[in-house]
Amino acid sequence: MRGRKRKRRVRRPARAMAGYGVANERLRVLEELEREIGASLQSAGTVILELSKEKAGERLLERQAAQFSAAVQKVESELSAQIRYLTQVATGQPHEGSSYSARKACQMALNRVDYARLKLGELARACEQMLEP
Amino acid sequence: MAQQRVLPQSKETLLQSYNKRLKDDVKSIMDNFTEIIKTAKIEDETQVSRATQGEQDNYEMHVRAANIVRAGESLMKLVSDLKQFLILNDFPSVNEAINQRNQQLRSLQEECDKKLIALRDEISIDLYELEEEYYSSSYSLCDSNDLPLCEAYWRQDFATLSPESFSMPLTAATAEQSVATSQSSTPSHPHVNGHGAGPTEHS
Repeated sequence: MRGRKRKRRVRRPARAMAGYGVANERLRVLEELEREIGASLQSAGTVILELSKEKAGERLLERQAAQFSAAVQKVESELSAQIRYLTQVATGQPHEGSSYSARKACQMALNRVDYARLKLGELARACEQMLEP
Repeated sequence: MAQQRVLPQSKETLLQSYNKRLKDDVKSIMDNFTEIIKTAKIEDETQVSRATQGEQDNYEMHVRAANIVRAGESLMKLVSDLKQFLILNDFPSVNEAINQRNQQLRSLQEECDKKLIALRDEISIDLYELEEEYYSSSYSLCDSNDLPLCEAYWRQDFATLSPESFSMPLTAATAEQSVATSQSSTPSHPHVNGHGAGPTEHS
């Protein structure tokens, strides 16, 4: 039972996130690019710091310089791809979709449940009063 | 049939500006970094004294490093603008997000309604049994109107039954009892859905 409960707990977050997977994927890629930009500047700073030393380590220099170059190229290619995708997809019109109707219907259903719970509570209290000596 | 979609001028201009900013910032980072590496090389022959050359190189490196940082921050701003543009204009993702949200809300609504219907069915069964018990008991004979169980329950007179109400004529009591038994013998559930149903409907 505990194993089953754990599986259910793991499934629910995945099920909730799967619905917005495509929408969040591009945003996640952009967030990763932000980290990549920071990493590239960090690598550049490490290279310059290493160069300032009396005895600069060649391997560290080469590794950091390669990281810097790879990060900058990745940022450029990914951002170009995003801009190309937006050029294909953007229409210039505002999006008029909405989930308001479904949200309202769900809210009304929850109100019905609350009302039923309220009435059952009153009925239970009345029955208890009747049964009191 | 492929139709060439024409973006509004503002959107197209905006995307072109994004491209330009990207190219400029990346070029700035690479060029300034390359120049810093070149400047770090120590040359034997200089036009000015070594100290002056050193000061000049120091200042140049500071400026180029600041340029690299500025270009990096400009790239971060570009990414932020792209995120905003994506949220507002990526219609496939927005449509899918809306559909998914609608599905979730509808499934929750159906679950609530299903549970309410199950609750209603259970309570209707219990109500039928209670009404059976009530109409076959002596309490229903005391009430001349023979109200439905729910109304009799909420009436104040029900809670304070007087002794005179029990001393009804025997014929009236037996007549009402026969009506009550005829009600109980009906095959369907007459009291389940008709809360205001009285004996007249069933006789």
